[in-house]
Amino acid sequence: MKPENLKHDSAIRHVTGQSVYVNDMEVSSLQLTGRVVYSQVAHGLITSLDYSMALKVKGIAAILTAKDIPGANQMGPVVHDELCLAIDEVTFIGQAILLIAAENEDAAVEAEHLIKIEYQELEAVLSLRDAMEKNLLISKPRMIHNGNAQEALKISPHVFTGELETGAQEHWYLETQSALVVPGEGKEMMVYASSQNPAETQAIVAEVLGISKNEVDVEVRRMGGAFGGKETQANHVAAWAALLANATRRPVKIHLFRDDDQKITGKRHRFLSKYSIGFNDAGKILAYQVELNSDAGAATDLSMAILERALFHAENAYFIPDISITGRAYRTNLPSNTAFRGFGGPQGMAVIEQAIDRIARFLKKDPAVVRKLNFYGFESENQTPYGKIIENNRLHVMFDRLMVSSGYPDRRKEIDAYNREHKYSKRGLALTPVKFGISFTTAFLNQAGALVNIYKDGTVQVNHGGTEMGQGLYAKMLGVAATELGISTEFIKITATNTSKVPNTSATAASSGSDLNGMAVKNAIAVLKARLKKVALTQFEKDGLKNIESCDLEFADNHVFSKMQPTAKIPFKRLVVAAYLDQVSLSSTGFYKTPGIHFDRETGKGNPFYYFAYGMAVSEVQADVLTGECKLLRTDILHDVGDSLNEDIDIGQIEGGFIQGVGWVTTEEIKWDPKGRLLNHSPDTYKIPTVNDIPEVFNVDLLRDHPNEGTIRKSKAVGEPPLMLAFSVWLAIKDAISAVGNHKYEPDFSLPATAEVVLLSITEIQKKN
Amino acid sequence: MSGSGHLIRFFLNDKLVEIDFNASAGLKPTTTVLNYLRSLPFYKGVKEGCAEGDCGACTVVVAEVQNGKLVHKAIDSCLVFLPMLYGKQLITVEHLADGKDLHPVQQAMVDENGSQCGYCTPGIVMSLFGIYKNHHHPSREVIQDALTGNLCRCTGYRPIIDAAESACSSRGWDHFSLAEANTIRLLDELNSGKELIEIHTSLQQYYKPFTLADALECRRLHPEALITCGSTDVALRQTKKKELLREIIDISDVAGLKFLEENIDDFRIGAGVSLENLLQYSKDRIPALYNILKIFGSLQIRNLATIGGNIGSASPIGDTLPVLFASRARVRLQSTEGVRFLNIEDFITGYRSVDLKPGELITEIIIPKGSPEQIIRSYKVSRRKDLDISSVSAGFSMLAVNGTVSEIILAFGGMAAQTIRATKTETFLTGKEWNQAQVGKAMDILHHEFTPLSDARAGADYRNLVARNLLMKFYLESSDHNI
Repeated sequence: MKPENLKHDSAIRHVTGQSVYVNDMEVSSLQLTGRVVYSQVAHGLITSLDYSMALKVKGIAAILTAKDIPGANQMGPVVHDELCLAIDEVTFIGQAILLIAAENEDAAVEAEHLIKIEYQELEAVLSLRDAMEKNLLISKPRMIHNGNAQEALKISPHVFTGELETGAQEHWYLETQSALVVPGEGKEMMVYASSQNPAETQAIVAEVLGISKNEVDVEVRRMGGAFGGKETQANHVAAWAALLANATRRPVKIHLFRDDDQKITGKRHRFLSKYSIGFNDAGKILAYQVELNSDAGAATDLSMAILERALFHAENAYFIPDISITGRAYRTNLPSNTAFRGFGGPQGMAVIEQAIDRIARFLKKDPAVVRKLNFYGFESENQTPYGKIIENNRLHVMFDRLMVSSGYPDRRKEIDAYNREHKYSKRGLALTPVKFGISFTTAFLNQAGALVNIYKDGTVQVNHGGTEMGQGLYAKMLGVAATELGISTEFIKITATNTSKVPNTSATAASSGSDLNGMAVKNAIAVLKARLKKVALTQFEKDGLKNIESCDLEFADNHVFSKMQPTAKIPFKRLVVAAYLDQVSLSSTGFYKTPGIHFDRETGKGNPFYYFAYGMAVSEVQADVLTGECKLLRTDILHDVGDSLNEDIDIGQIEGGFIQGVGWVTTEEIKWDPKGRLLNHSPDTYKIPTVNDIPEVFNVDLLRDHPNEGTIRKSKAVGEPPLMLAFSVWLAIKDAISAVGNHKYEPDFSLPATAEVVLLSITEIQKKN
Repeated sequence: MSGSGHLIRFFLNDKLVEIDFNASAGLKPTTTVLNYLRSLPFYKGVKEGCAEGDCGACTVVVAEVQNGKLVHKAIDSCLVFLPMLYGKQLITVEHLADGKDLHPVQQAMVDENGSQCGYCTPGIVMSLFGIYKNHHHPSREVIQDALTGNLCRCTGYRPIIDAAESACSSRGWDHFSLAEANTIRLLDELNSGKELIEIHTSLQQYYKPFTLADALECRRLHPEALITCGSTDVALRQTKKKELLREIIDISDVAGLKFLEENIDDFRIGAGVSLENLLQYSKDRIPALYNILKIFGSLQIRNLATIGGNIGSASPIGDTLPVLFASRARVRLQSTEGVRFLNIEDFITGYRSVDLKPGELITEIIIPKGSPEQIIRSYKVSRRKDLDISSVSAGFSMLAVNGTVSEIILAFGGMAAQTIRATKTETFLTGKEWNQAQVGKAMDILHHEFTPLSDARAGADYRNLVARNLLMKFYLESSDHNI
């Protein structure tokens, strides 16, 4: 099979139930079940803690509190502000206080029921507005600006001010957080984790145990979904399981129960954003001033990097000459919010997208036309607020193609006609673009390693620092390795990601998995090929073949041969044996760092991205005016992945990311009660899209013939950008609501646009009408 | 009562399994099929995603003999207690492939890129297998309905639908077809001469009658025992609330509760009829009930849940209740002492409370046919259209004589602690002309008739608005307006 047509590396194991996840592992009859006992109050002092009765339950091997942590009581990934176990104060519901290791789950549950914790409740900050009023900044504000937005607003012909709330989102990976820790000799710990960041899991486990990193091996074969939720917070269960394994010297597995997972772990940050936007009669945006305020939760986690990415995407695909973007992250008494596909980008973009929608409605223009008018240009109007010049702008070509393929102009007319004829059912249409910056904005994270081993039978093991969470990274790496080595994929195995094979890796995040690891794998193979070429030349000489140049040698079809002298040809397998006998190393590491990435936080200028990935979508919805329920009728997507490394896998990412975004903008609502208790803590009340929520007509296409120079096989990252295509659905809903008042009034709106939000907004319009 | 046994026998794929709960460490009579499978060394394909029947990662297929034929049903294994498998074949994902050859549904999932992280995949494969065994050339509607109960967070579902379409367009043969006659014979043997099962462990008593007489006798002897049939509600007390269920009467296999009968004036539905069977039955017979069942739970849930259970649990958002109110349904209650009939409205007495006397079982639901002029409709409004609990549900019926309302029932779920009728609005409308102006006035009354809660699902204002607007929807539908 061609490398670009490879199936997911685990496809057959998935469908036969043979893929092993952490919770499927039983390494020993001594293995224990771990359980986390967590705070039931959002903010309070622990006044008493009694687990003496729990210790008496048959089958309990250990119960641990903060006092029992041998190393540092800390698991914050960037800022060290997150306790592993609460000491005397709890700051959110779901904060771990005790850990139980038991022979079985029943015993652990029984013990938990016998633990008595009393709290003295303190005032809790549970809303973002409240945190903003109290100015509970978690770190100093971030700013990016260009020109003078304040002055430009004063002289703009029209100015709107507004506010937008975007909601939290639960990752709802199918596999809840899991870790299995197996103690070895001495201080050794083997950690089987479901983590996007094995190197950081290793670091946190070492720190809480007070041992050095070289004692801890972390292995990640696969995750049952992650979406950012296992970038830092997978470290937590690993640290807890490690503490229990260390205390009992027995293997301990923690697999969070769904409701516990939803209560304990952080979500996509909710934002409350305020903006002023100035524009002219044509709809050209002249000035934009926006404050992005996020709910960081109780600890910093990745909140500042997420906030920064929100700032970097505040203008999305539009050139705005005078712009001022400010970001603030606030501390609240909720679980620490964390990475989620898009990483702040969606929250930043949502504001400008709905502002443009508002401008178009006011000017009685088609929003798609206003968008196009404001797109970044080629020779001019091509500089981002942070000073990066946009090269290879794909917005215009994608807009032109999508307008045609989706039949947008005609459908706009059809929808207007439909809306005239129907009083209680309205349709809406929207086109939205995505321009997403690719690279970790923390520049040093843009590095990756690989280890490639060739064995004497000609088979190859490829190890790299990236983790497999369903996105098909292993299949893509297999494709890269097969192409570079010129051998069939059946001879290559991509092994589980392991900190002892490739150390000091970055998280598989920021959509960067293939870009970084693909290059690292390529570089490792390049080293091996150079060595093998020398061996081949020696072999050719022995065979009497002369004048063969190293640079003419090619690896293909399981052979090495000279392009100039096709008779000079050795099977790969034979070459490997020859190399071994020649005492040539058949193992190499590879390393890659993205060139030219830098950003100065003080000035808000720099080059934080290697390139941009683009996407565009047109969606049509139908709203029930009596109930607020909306149906997604059709979506057309055109997405830019450069030269795809694997089209099927890329389309899977686009479709899946889009639908996940549709969930965020429609049905995935999260509420807390006045005590800070999460109300939507199971799929009973937290509603991600089902098979019936996808568009009835769903056309997804790739922007072909637009290679991306300077990346692995001219491809582009694809993980995150498609999520933001869902704004087309969100704004199509708004368009449908607006039709109730014949587009005379701006609908009240927020994100998600649940049936409730929609109906209440419709009712407001009906009152005005 | 007839003699009794205590062993549970079923086929795990092609192996006969016999469970003695007193001799099996780690197994309780209420151990779920999911936990049972995962306790075995080679059956970890089945996954727990939520333990409440909302995600389908634990989907398995159960085959049983009905009228001499083998019937395959996809179910959520997290909701089913082990004894409910008695006399059935439990088919797991490990058994689908024939040696090295993948089952057609597995191959299609590979070919169409239907898996990404793979965690939901075994459950999805089992749902596809269910479609494969039950349909040839299924419509997209059938496919999507069968997949509603399987959440996937990675793919966006499109390739899974494509996999179903391509796999199920073949003849529907597989290695199970070849073994079918033998499977039927083996299952028939297993089911012959079965008698009441009583399982007594140190912590639990579990009774599994197969006849109505035995069931009523169990009820008389153990009036405090929980009654479970589909177990989609009862199981949650164990899986979610971690309660120990001490005493259970499992009526899931009582043959006498599984009938569907049409008479001149009414339909009689055995309390143990699954909602899926009722869905199929009501399609051309009881459209308002059919409409609500279509969006009830998921196929996996409907294959388990029963009409008797949905009524007996008396949930404030029990989705069949409003339409049963509107249809003036009655329930038949039976004990060893005798039989009673109650109007559904009188049977439901409060929040999750019913007028069921000790010793009684709900044996059937009687749905009158009503007059042809009577208009009955059902509605469900939820945050997500499918596999969601309603924010508001409604069942309305109206009879107009010469354009004047002579009889109207407006029953709602989600507006109070129990299913409730909008009596003020009904009174207002009775005797009025059935037109938009009167309906408009009625809507204003309805808007303030209830004081619903704000909760995780919806706010009170929204609920009131929806209740009010559903009346307009009913009016428009009843008068064939273009909406």
